[in-house]
Amino acid sequence: MKKVDKKIVAFLCNWCSYAGADLAGVSRFQYPPHLRIIRVPCSGRVDPLFIFTALKSADGVLVSGCHPGDCHYTSGNLVARRKFALVKGLLEFIGIEDGRVQFDWISAAEGNKFAQTAAKVASEVDNLPQWDRWGEK
Amino acid sequence: MIVLEKIKEKAKELLAENKVEVVLGFTRGTLPGKCTPYFARKVDEVENFVWEEGCNHNLANYLTKLSQKAAIIVKGCDSRSIINLIKENQITREQVYIIGGTCPSTGECPDCQHQEAVIADYKISEGEGAIEDSFQDVLEFEKLSPEARKEYFYKEASKCIRCYACRNACPACYCKECFVEENLPSWVGKTTGIGDNIIFHLTRAMHVAGRCIDCGACVRACPMGVNLSLLNRKMLKDVQEMFKNVSGLSLDTELALNEYKQDDSQKFLIGGE
Ligand code: SF4
Ligand code: SF4
Repeated sequence: MKKVDKKIVAFLCNWCSYAGADLAGVSRFQYPPHLRIIRVPCSGRVDPLFIFTALKSADGVLVSGCHPGDCHYTSGNLVARRKFALVKGLLEFIGIEDGRVQFDWISAAEGNKFAQTAAKVASEVDNLPQWDRWGEK
Repeated sequence: MIVLEKIKEKAKELLAENKVEVVLGFTRGTLPGKCTPYFARKVDEVENFVWEEGCNHNLANYLTKLSQKAAIIVKGCDSRSIINLIKENQITREQVYIIGGTCPSTGECPDCQHQEAVIADYKISEGEGAIEDSFQDVLEFEKLSPEARKEYFYKEASKCIRCYACRNACPACYCKECFVEENLPSWVGKTTGIGDNIIFHLTRAMHVAGRCIDCGACVRACPMGVNLSLLNRKMLKDVQEMFKNVSGLSLDTELALNEYKQDDSQKFLIGGE
């Protein structure tokens, strides 16, 4: 029987990480097919609610934005950084595995880093126990 | 009861001189040991005020719903909520006259760190000042295995009937339209299924993160006995540790999630620094 790939929702900021993913594509870097990319204007737009909701139908979440200092809106990612630090701690606190929800900064020039990160996150999510989709599965 | 006399005297003065239109305080409830919020609008109504065990609602919640100039009798927690509400432009400092004292009702909150009002126009008593929070409950919970923590949290979330009494009682939850009720788009499922409940509880905790002052109003309001304090206090602890910020203590500092520093922790990143 064919193995079903796990699903990972990736929230990528328009200005850096989404362009990084694009670059990975045009550069023909290979990465696993797990990712479902959602383009957001800024990592600051990623409401924690999006992350929690994504886990209702996916096995993992990746959030990526511009490196600190590179934000198109100057400080969106810096404000998001505090929020993400709390989300990470909150999920760990309620016993969710560390690899399930991951965060990174990937620039538009880092197509290679994008492909590597996608592969790393995909393999980590693959190796986690079956996700219960918040008890609904 | 010297403190109560001071409250009454001040309240009468403020109403008689038309300095405020209403004084928010407490009166006896219908159950022994419970007090209920009381709005005195006339001088003779002031006699109904009490200041005793059972006065533990967070009265700051009513300030965002009033348009008149009001006086409010506060203990530590309501005074801290007032500070946050002023900082978030929900009320103005001029709009409220603060009668501040030390909490008369610590029986229900034995671990309270801030019993004394931190802001006041008129002080009715002098307290001990603040105590450092040891977060013993959070630390104990963190010692459990991830599986046990998850099981506990799922069990708590599954009790919730989504009545939103916790939100209604919370002075930090003043949004006119809350994400839980919006329909276009529908941000969160409205069912009491475990998934929708979990998403609601995690998001609620994030919405009050850096703003919650641990008054316990949400916990007292919950008809199902959901342990809301667990996530609230985890966020309080992380905000304090990561951002060196305790909200509701001073008008001069920013709320933790309204600011950032260049060297904020990046431990949450892949390969965290
Ligand atoms: S979340 Fe609960 S403890 Fe925190 S401020 Fe609101 S009512 Fe008080
Ligand atoms: S008060 Fe309790 S039951 Fe009602 S929504 Fe809040 S947690 Fe759920």
